[in-house]
Amino acid sequence: MTLRHLISTCISSVTISLLLLLTASSTTQAQGLKLKMFSLVPDSIPMMRGFQVSFDLFGFCQRQLSDYGQYEGALRLNLHDQWFPIVEVGYGVADHTNDEVTGLSYKTKAPYFRVGMDFNLLKKKHGPNRLYGGFRYAYTNYKVDLWRTNYPDPTWQWDTGFGVVGEQYSQHWLEGVLGIDAMIVGPLHLGWSVRYKRRIAHSDGVVGKTWYVPGFGIWGDTRLGGTFNVIIDI
Amino acid sequence: MNNSKGCAVVRKWWLTSLSAIIACLSFGVSACSSIDCPVQNTVYTGYALYTQDERVDTLRDTMYVFTRRADGTDTLLFNAGIGLTTFQLQISYSHPEDTLRFYFINGDNYAVVDTVWVKKEDIPHFESVDCSASFFHRLTAVRSTHNAIDSIAITKNFVDYDASTSHFHLYLKRHD
Repeated sequence: MTLRHLISTCISSVTISLLLLLTASSTTQAQGLKLKMFSLVPDSIPMMRGFQVSFDLFGFCQRQLSDYGQYEGALRLNLHDQWFPIVEVGYGVADHTNDEVTGLSYKTKAPYFRVGMDFNLLKKKHGPNRLYGGFRYAYTNYKVDLWRTNYPDPTWQWDTGFGVVGEQYSQHWLEGVLGIDAMIVGPLHLGWSVRYKRRIAHSDGVVGKTWYVPGFGIWGDTRLGGTFNVIIDI
Repeated sequence: MNNSKGCAVVRKWWLTSLSAIIACLSFGVSACSSIDCPVQNTVYTGYALYTQDERVDTLRDTMYVFTRRADGTDTLLFNAGIGLTTFQLQISYSHPEDTLRFYFINGDNYAVVDTVWVKKEDIPHFESVDCSASFFHRLTAVRSTHNAIDSIAITKNFVDYDASTSHFHLYLKRHD
């Protein structure tokens, strides 16, 4: 290799290195500028986005069409269209009289409440429709009247009465919620929710088990439940 | 413009479909119900035979157990048991004291009769409105005559669906 060739290679290397350095430096500067610009843009959506009140039609219809059900309303706070703290309050009623197979009657009515949080799972959170995932903690304390008309002991044939009045029960449970809320017109929305329920603590009195639990539904029947909500933005 | 309209239609269709699926699921959930009554739903008392020195004993005579019903007639609770070490008997739903007549008949057709009185408290038990009403019991006292029976003792006082453990130890007299 000649000296002239060596000098030429050296100059080329230095030139390329300087060019690369310049390019890198200009890219970093541009990114920094961009980051600076991004951080300067404020969020135009306020944190507090209002309230929603809702009423559950599913529990209402259930009560009208069967011998148990619940009347339930809810108040939901909208935080940034992302987080929705919620309180649900209801009144559960069961009046099952003289079961055609077993002859048993079960009567209860009591309030219940649930508190929890929903999260908007949609990517575009500020649209009119929402897909919710959430959880609830719920509690009820209720009294049960339970009786059966007198019937003969099958062996001894003595007339046997069966009944308790005002038996005290209570239950704590958790719910996982998946729901949808679609805007119909103006402030009016309609929404569904499907719930997975798990009892976490309970007191069943001395007679054994419970049947209808206000707000929870029929114990031992299924762990799934649902609501159909009429929702109004306020 | 057309593209955004298309997106809105897809979004609406997606929301409607999801609503329909959730609606179907909810109605399906409410429509399906199961009845979970216990398979073992009889309430019996268990008796175990023991010798005086607390060894398992065997019934050497043929045993019958009767009780008197409300109309004054007798009914058979246990028929012709022999060679047993344990047996089970029914217990009344809500009578405060059951009276049981034990007949022990030996090989010569000679019968020895004893009466056992079982006092108890009756506790209504509820599973579901779909399951028959039943009673659990708390045994409070037991006594007997002493022709073939030497003594009888309560070993477990709560009577429920579990009759696998004995509630009474029955000590019979030995006639060698």
